[in-house]
Amino acid sequence: MNEAETPGLESRLITTGVERLALLGRHAESLMQGYANDQVPLEGLSHTALRKLLSARIVWRPDEQGGLKLTPKVRELIAEMVSDEARRHVNADVAEALELIRSLIQSYRDSSSRGDYWQQEQQLLRLRQAVDDMNGRFADAIDSLWQRLNSDFGFVSQLNDKVRENDRAQKQVVRLLDGLALIDFDELIELVGSDGTLRKVLISQLQQQLSQHYTSLREVQHRLIELMARFRRMQARSRLVSGMAAFLREHPGFTPGNYARRSEVPALFNHAAPLTAAGAVALDRAQDMPTLSALLENVPTPLRAAQSITAARPAEHVEDTLIAARQQALKDDVETFYLNVVDRAEQTPISALDYLNQSELQWPPEIWLFQVIAEHQGLPHSEQRAFHLHQQEERASAYNDVKLIRDVSLGLAV
Amino acid sequence: MSDISLLPHGPLLERLLAGEFICAVSDESAFKRLQDDDTREAIDSYLRPLNRRVASSQEEGVYFLAWRQLDDTARDQLARQLGDTVHSLLPLLEWLQLVQEALGRDSVLSPGDVLKPGELQAKSEDNPSLRERIERLATDSFFGSQSDQLDAQVKQVFKRLREHGYLLQPHADRQVFLVTGKVDYLLELVRFIRDEEHLPVDDEGEDTQEALL
Repeated sequence: MNEAETPGLESRLITTGVERLALLGRHAESLMQGYANDQVPLEGLSHTALRKLLSARIVWRPDEQGGLKLTPKVRELIAEMVSDEARRHVNADVAEALELIRSLIQSYRDSSSRGDYWQQEQQLLRLRQAVDDMNGRFADAIDSLWQRLNSDFGFVSQLNDKVRENDRAQKQVVRLLDGLALIDFDELIELVGSDGTLRKVLISQLQQQLSQHYTSLREVQHRLIELMARFRRMQARSRLVSGMAAFLREHPGFTPGNYARRSEVPALFNHAAPLTAAGAVALDRAQDMPTLSALLENVPTPLRAAQSITAARPAEHVEDTLIAARQQALKDDVETFYLNVVDRAEQTPISALDYLNQSELQWPPEIWLFQVIAEHQGLPHSEQRAFHLHQQEERASAYNDVKLIRDVSLGLAV
Repeated sequence: MSDISLLPHGPLLERLLAGEFICAVSDESAFKRLQDDDTREAIDSYLRPLNRRVASSQEEGVYFLAWRQLDDTARDQLARQLGDTVHSLLPLLEWLQLVQEALGRDSVLSPGDVLKPGELQAKSEDNPSLRERIERLATDSFFGSQSDQLDAQVKQVFKRLREHGYLLQPHADRQVFLVTGKVDYLLELVRFIRDEEHLPVDDEGEDTQEALL
């Protein structure tokens, strides 16, 4: 199409369009601030500029007092241009696009039958654009979905948000697939009839593009479901950890059943005790000798000083035997005393202390008496009854009732 | 009997016998070999006289040795081990939670994740609540830190986790740790205990985080 054929209306549209697109560039900074924040800042915008922006419907005022905001279309355009996945909008409304295409086909055929070729060209152009738009919507939506997938929904930080975003994306895929299903090629073929140009635009090209979209969407859907499963597993792990920790904090005495005693021990708990494969130096193989002697040579010399054997102390041991020997001698002397009592002809008891003095034994009297009593107590019961042991006792003092043994006398019981 | 020679698997056998858990992080090549049915079978028949066999976690993320026959000695050992495990559950779970929150991660640690004690320490230095939690955790008898210094506490916690096989330190002189597959094994144990004891611990359904707040 060349310019000469463009009537006045079209050229006026183009001039206005160019002017208004230029507005976007001229006020790019303010507009981007309006995109990033809630409002477009008024500073730096002249009264004229503001008026132009408003009439181009780049910005609008929701209410008189309210601030200046970007119109939804501009916000969408920016989101699309910068691939801002958090705000990118997926438009899956195929029904309306199809409606438009149907009516354009009708107009095209009307112009064709009237022989109005200029009008027919215009309709064809708009039809091409409508088809491209519909195609572009799918392409954009699929691009946006891939972007989100490949970043693992990195534009939101919390796992819960990722799960929600994934859920939203899956719904979008379903809507897009539903939209694709609305496009009925049988109907289009019928509408197009025998017109070769229309057939090319609406059937062969579109069919090929849509089948690509369909494959892409199925793949995206598959990947989204996989990713969702991963998110869910991650969520489940987090919940399990925090839930179990909370439970154990609340129940400090919690003890699970003794799984080790069950007839079927759960596989997870069957972890065998560790075994160490120890090895030691062996001298029974001649070929190992060089290695072993090399090892021996490399053994570091211990740093501690040598201990002289003569410095060891047998003294304590001697002391022990000495005491035992004296103990035995005392025991033997007491036994001799007992035998003496038995062997004597007279029945009268003998004082143990007198015996000690007469026999010139060197035992201290107290030790002697103690052993004599101990010997009597150590006898078997039957033999004990054969002796009569009499203790001469006296009170410790007039005011102390403790009895002190002064002497014992031993005689045979009659 | 399998024809596979066990000669190349000596070091692996030794690690298994020593009670280690083998996962893709702790020893990738050994893990791959253990995934092979024939190799596992060969190792099993080798271990038969030692009353042991190769076992894996439910999701086959780790391999370890299990008793082949559960005699009384084996059961006694397992009962003691179960006691130790139950005792270590809370400190381990609290540690997992703490790391997740301190490092702002959106999920629990998984095998292969990289951890730097320095990072955890830096995050906790200006955060009294985190600091307090680390202190409480480190002085728990499972971690057994005697120190009141944050860096020593963090160090002790990492040391114990390495000893228990939950972390791997690829270079002894670098304070960088890798999370091993034993963490997954731990979570499988937790899930098992939860199911078996019917504990009111939910890991599915809608957000419980709001409820916790």
